[in-house]
Amino acid sequence: MSLSSAPHWRSVSVDAIAWREWNGEFVVRNERSGSTHLLGPLAGDVLRALLDAGQGLSVADIAACLDDGPKAASDSTLLAAIEEVLSEFKRLGLAEPEAQ
Amino acid sequence: MIVADLPERELARRLAGPGLRLRTGPVVNRIQSRLTGIAEGVALQYADHTVEEPEGFADFHVRLASPRSLRRWMSPQVHFLFDGARPFLPLPADQAFAMLEWGLNWCVSAHCHQFLVVHAASVERSGLAVLLPGNPGAGKSTLCAGLVNRGWRLLSDELSLLDLATGGVVPLPRPVSLKNESIDAIRRFSPGTVLGPPVHDTVKGSVAHMKPPTDSVRRAMETARPRWIVMPRYEGGAAAHLAPLSKARAFMHLADHAFNYDVHGRRGFELLAQVVTGSACFEFEYGALEDAIAVFDDLARNA
Repeated sequence: MSLSSAPHWRSVSVDAIAWREWNGEFVVRNERSGSTHLLGPLAGDVLRALLDAGQGLSVADIAACLDDGPKAASDSTLLAAIEEVLSEFKRLGLAEPEAQ
Repeated sequence: MIVADLPERELARRLAGPGLRLRTGPVVNRIQSRLTGIAEGVALQYADHTVEEPEGFADFHVRLASPRSLRRWMSPQVHFLFDGARPFLPLPADQAFAMLEWGLNWCVSAHCHQFLVVHAASVERSGLAVLLPGNPGAGKSTLCAGLVNRGWRLLSDELSLLDLATGGVVPLPRPVSLKNESIDAIRRFSPGTVLGPPVHDTVKGSVAHMKPPTDSVRRAMETARPRWIVMPRYEGGAAAHLAPLSKARAFMHLADHAFNYDVHGRRGFELLAQVVTGSACFEFEYGALEDAIAVFDDLARNA
């Protein structure tokens, strides 16, 4: 489980997102910005995890959602990749860290 | 009544006077002009198109006219007027018909928001449509011209109209705009095709228009279901080759090539998703029209 001090990320509301997946690639429309984005498999899965959760998730929580294996939450490569995706989501207005 | 039914003098009279109400697919254009290049171009290129009643409704009111200045005697120009306004800079007078075509394209792309308007050629066979989105110079008009000269129905050379309710392609069969080497390529490929006189030194180089096939114009009310999305690229000497394109990338290409995707918001997203889901998507490189047409014929056979 995540440390309580780790930042938790929340996506924009489900109502503000339209998305489709084809063979692991995603297109996502953000109603708030009016922009449409192409997401690769990892980014798409991260977004889906955030949308499904409906609450803030830490990077470790997201990793656990993506991979049920017990080691996912400590896989530094995966965690770094998710961090990178979240930074991009913040830039695109798709997700943001919750206020501590 | 179609344009070919109008005696030459009557066509000129309508153009010079109250306007010719010309139906092109789902829209009616009221065209006014005293320029002989317009009358000749309309008579040749739109011979099979329906002429609506003189007092009937028109979606677009356009006029091609020479500026009233001394310049008209030295370096004659032509203006495109839309509802009396001039959205574009004037062009040399010998480009009048090309300017009409570009102007009519603009009318549709800037105003026809009852459709999702995609910058793409489209052709049909057996009720199934190929969408050919492409940047200028990609070879989509050449490919489109080649296909319609080998039995595919022309839906549109430049602007593919997607019905927001059904996702079907609404035909807009108008002259096919050929540029530079494509003009002679189509002449060689299909010697019987009707081409207007080339005009040179336009912003797109040399341009000539190919008359749309009669059958395509007559069937302008028959929509078609998108079945293939193909991004063409002409490369001299290249073998014809279809490479799968992921649906997500095809979606982004279509969105990038749509004039009014943003206007439609979520509805536009859902429509493109529907079109992409139902289509096989490819990138296509070709260097010879005969080979390219064979590839498309195979697609249709195996649909």
